[in-house]
Amino acid sequence: MVNKKDMRRVDRYLWEIPRGYRHDMRVPARIYADDALLEAALQDRSVEQLINTACLPGLVKYVLAMPDIHQGYGPPIGGVAAMGMDDGVISPGAVGYDINCGVRLLRSNVEAAQVKPFVTELMDALHYGIPSGVGRGGDIRLSGRDMDKVLERGAGWAVSKGYGTDQDLQHTEEHGALDAADASAVSSKAKKRGSNQLGTLGAGNHFVEIGKVVDVYDETVAQQMGVWPGQMVLWIHSGSRGLGHQVCTDYVNAHRRAVDKYGIHLPDRQLVCAPIDSPEGRQYMAAMACAANYAWANRQLLMHRARTIVADVLGPHLKQLGLTLIYDIAHNIAKAEQHTVEGRKMQLLVHRKGATRAFGPGNPRLPEDYRTVGQPVLVPGDMGTASYLLVGTSEAAAKSFSSSCHGAGRVMSRKAAKRKARGEEVQRSLQEQGIIVRGPWRGLAEEAPHAYKDIDRVVNVVHESGLARRVARMVPMGVIKG
Amino acid sequence: MKRFEQLDHTADLALRIYGQDMGELYVNAAYAMFHHLAAVDDVRPLLREQVCVEGADPESLLVNWLNELLYLHETETRVYCAFDILALSPQRLQAMAYGEESHAVHTIIKAATYHDLSIRHTDQGYVASIVFDV
Repeated sequence: MVNKKDMRRVDRYLWEIPRGYRHDMRVPARIYADDALLEAALQDRSVEQLINTACLPGLVKYVLAMPDIHQGYGPPIGGVAAMGMDDGVISPGAVGYDINCGVRLLRSNVEAAQVKPFVTELMDALHYGIPSGVGRGGDIRLSGRDMDKVLERGAGWAVSKGYGTDQDLQHTEEHGALDAADASAVSSKAKKRGSNQLGTLGAGNHFVEIGKVVDVYDETVAQQMGVWPGQMVLWIHSGSRGLGHQVCTDYVNAHRRAVDKYGIHLPDRQLVCAPIDSPEGRQYMAAMACAANYAWANRQLLMHRARTIVADVLGPHLKQLGLTLIYDIAHNIAKAEQHTVEGRKMQLLVHRKGATRAFGPGNPRLPEDYRTVGQPVLVPGDMGTASYLLVGTSEAAAKSFSSSCHGAGRVMSRKAAKRKARGEEVQRSLQEQGIIVRGPWRGLAEEAPHAYKDIDRVVNVVHESGLARRVARMVPMGVIKG
Repeated sequence: MKRFEQLDHTADLALRIYGQDMGELYVNAAYAMFHHLAAVDDVRPLLREQVCVEGADPESLLVNWLNELLYLHETETRVYCAFDILALSPQRLQAMAYGEESHAVHTIIKAATYHDLSIRHTDQGYVASIVFDV
């Protein structure tokens, strides 16, 4: 088991396990954390998993973990691994089963105080109107041809069908679709699984939340993003549903054979991979892009549905709701990006699993209205506590391949969380704080606030380390869970 | 004999499965998975589906078996409560799965993973450990 004495402190909130710690590490492993978060990470196997990730071929500089690090399978959640395109590998396990699980944040023209009297009605309407997809499908059935269009056009398909606007696409990572997508790389099983799940939220930690901006830390950036104190905001957290899960399952299997074929030695079977420059690698890249596009289409549809419901409930009482998309980011994905390494520009494949991209000001891949300030970085907390809007920095490029944390990260197993409090108690406790929660009891117990790390600490580490800067803090008024 | 138990895992569902022989191990693994998805004891074995899977070894076979059942569960909207193993070798499994249309499903399991996957022989038979992404 790793412990603190095996690490060296590189900076106030940055720790490194040197390459020499284990013979099969190809690069050092770095963790962004304060002392308490590091102690928590050492309690489960997250650090060991990060060390395993450091054994993958083609890694550049180091593997990283964000301060919301926790145990996953293969790499830890909160892991970032960047490979050279020529000699590196692509790993379905380093992306995760929920490909492009991600989040979007909408701002509005209304004050949270004006919405407060209607919150219960609004949460009931959202709970009723947004299908979770648990045990049954949603209301949108896709034909084979439509499915292929969704997989190749992503959120653009949804907009072309009338579910949103081009402005939404401008404010979505990759404009809501990765070019590498090729529907023929996705199995018929995955397509079948996804055929009746479009427009559904999913379960686990997926949610829709109505929140209130309580603090603004950077007024210039907040203004550029359309955010102000006391404002009502809306969060949506969801992924690629069964289609993404099946793509990962399919390619974990395919890459198990690839690992033998290419002679890759792995300390953990769930780290299966294939050379990026191989048929198996290219196929997964194409399939992963399809699943990512499905998730972007899904979040676009969920947003459209949520906006319609909010307009139905609040429209009679409040005018000019103005719910518009600030940004949408992915936190389980592998991206081809250009980064500078030791003064040289390199094309890298950056795997982020439970971590997000955080481009700084001036990056040409940002939409025009954010190019001078930097990319919005969205960090949802758990049900009962805060969420943050941050902005990417130039510093993050050299430190973390322009990556930041994705959320609070769990500290407690679902089993232990259920032992600690029942769903009804969690709901009651949140209601006492004025937060209306709707969702299945079991889900509420497993997702209780005490099961998660302290989001303020996580964001503090990211801010103080210069990976992303605090812009605004929000608290929930109502949450629906799948 | 206990069929399965849940272990602690920070984010996912980790199970330990027991069986007197390999066939029973695979049956109990499938039952345990559906137990965590739905009120499986309320499900009646009205419909049946024949399932055939292959794997490089018994562990892969276990993962593929469970993922195939998950696929059927989602695409056929069914919960399976009982299973008969028709043929089993280290690399191939043929079984009949019994269940009915989904009801009382309370969660989504994304997949059975290879993380911490093992099947061991003990004095009482076999024990497997498997982690599901939830």
